[in-house]
Amino acid sequence: MASLSEMYDVGWEEMRDKLRKWREDNCRNSEQIVDVGEELISEHASKLGDDVWIIYEQVMIAALDCSRDDLALTCLQELRKQFPDSHRVKRLTGMRLEALERYDEANKHYDAILQEDPTNTAARKRKISILRAQGKSTEAIRELNEYLEQFVGDQEAWHELSELYINEHDYGKAAFCLEELMMTNPHNHLYCEQYAEVKYTQGGMENLELARKYFAQALRLNNRNMRALFGLYMSASHIAASPKVSAKVKKDNIKYAAWAAAQINRAYKLAGRGNKENKCSIKAVEEMLESMQITMS
Amino acid sequence: MGEVELSCRAYVKMYLHSCLFPRCSINGLLLSSSSAGGAVCVTDCVPLLHSHLPLAPITQLALTQVDVWCAQTQQRIVGYYQANACASDCSPTPCALKIADKIAEQFESAVLLMLDGSKMSPDDRVPPIVMYERRDSKWVLKDKHTIMLRQWEETQAIASQMLESGDHALLVDFDGHLDDITKDWTNQTLNAKIAELSSPANGNI
Repeated sequence: MASLSEMYDVGWEEMRDKLRKWREDNCRNSEQIVDVGEELISEHASKLGDDVWIIYEQVMIAALDCSRDDLALTCLQELRKQFPDSHRVKRLTGMRLEALERYDEANKHYDAILQEDPTNTAARKRKISILRAQGKSTEAIRELNEYLEQFVGDQEAWHELSELYINEHDYGKAAFCLEELMMTNPHNHLYCEQYAEVKYTQGGMENLELARKYFAQALRLNNRNMRALFGLYMSASHIAASPKVSAKVKKDNIKYAAWAAAQINRAYKLAGRGNKENKCSIKAVEEMLESMQITMS
Repeated sequence: MGEVELSCRAYVKMYLHSCLFPRCSINGLLLSSSSAGGAVCVTDCVPLLHSHLPLAPITQLALTQVDVWCAQTQQRIVGYYQANACASDCSPTPCALKIADKIAEQFESAVLLMLDGSKMSPDDRVPPIVMYERRDSKWVLKDKHTIMLRQWEETQAIASQMLESGDHALLVDFDGHLDDITKDWTNQTLNAKIAELSSPANGNI
């Protein structure tokens, strides 16, 4: 089979740079990383200099994600040789055990790291991941809460916790986690939009109004966020259609919904230009907007 | 209750949907283009989400849009499918039951289909699906003998072949559509590919 570099006419430097970009962007495109990384380390390891170690780590984790234990072990052995006492490498050993579903051994491994270094956040988070993998959501939530009491600035952990709460249908607590994230990342439209979705799901007039406000905020931060646009349309429509609201609130929300509908229509018309494929989507959206208009008036 | 038939197209798209997002819980709707009464023939499916399944707004939006599309194309929503992120656990989640309940309100013989992630390798002989039907306001396991997949070996072969050739990357679910609205959640391109690979003898594509 032709090598990647032959197929796509790329040099080893480009492959190395690609891997760096994926590291920096924290992408989880494991299949691609394995393809590129495997070839890079088998053919060009000597040219990579000190980069080779971080590439071994990156490729190893991607290999675990793709059930390529052979490749993962090769990378791990190189890292163990080079860094025999490293906690960072020990964590990778633990991750391999996790991938092989040898959770008890993995846990022992992480406990050993924590004995030597109780502040090792990586090991703690791996232990919580094991709980998640085993379906032990309640314990995972409890451990993650304890972790966050100590490491209150860990964004990744707050987001993980919000996901766990959403899966448990504990929307109030999920909202709390997203509020933390919005406070520390006020320009992140995704957190605003997720918060709005949680509020919408909780239901009730107050939450619907909050949802609408945060969908609007998400749109201010990124006017291409379709989820936020639809969310704004739906929350405003529901508020306007409720018999419990004042005439003014109804009027305002009809305005918001009409604005959102116009934006949605515009976006779909633009998307439909010269594009046969999404004719069905456009028609479905148009009809949906029409039918919701009827329920509002 | 009644018999349920699952077409090649519906199965292959569900399979590819779960393969496209192996680390996520995924869900979608089961559709039928046959008239009501008699066996439920699931002829197609629409892949919906791969993130935040329990959250309401996008699910509501998707249900509404699929409803409209079905009315335009003489189809109806007859069921719901889900595959959990945790491959070893294929029990229906509360959100699965909720959405399935909603569908059952409009269609009595609705089915709830869970994909069993632990049985999806090409070596597994039986279809990796667990089906539920509604009886006395509860979702109960359907009798395996009432579930039919015609030409199962061929369907399984098509699914594996498409996965091998990377065709699962062509699949668009509703989540993906919202990320890029030029993408088609009715998956006409994929449907055409599946039809090409099916033998002409397979009538219920």
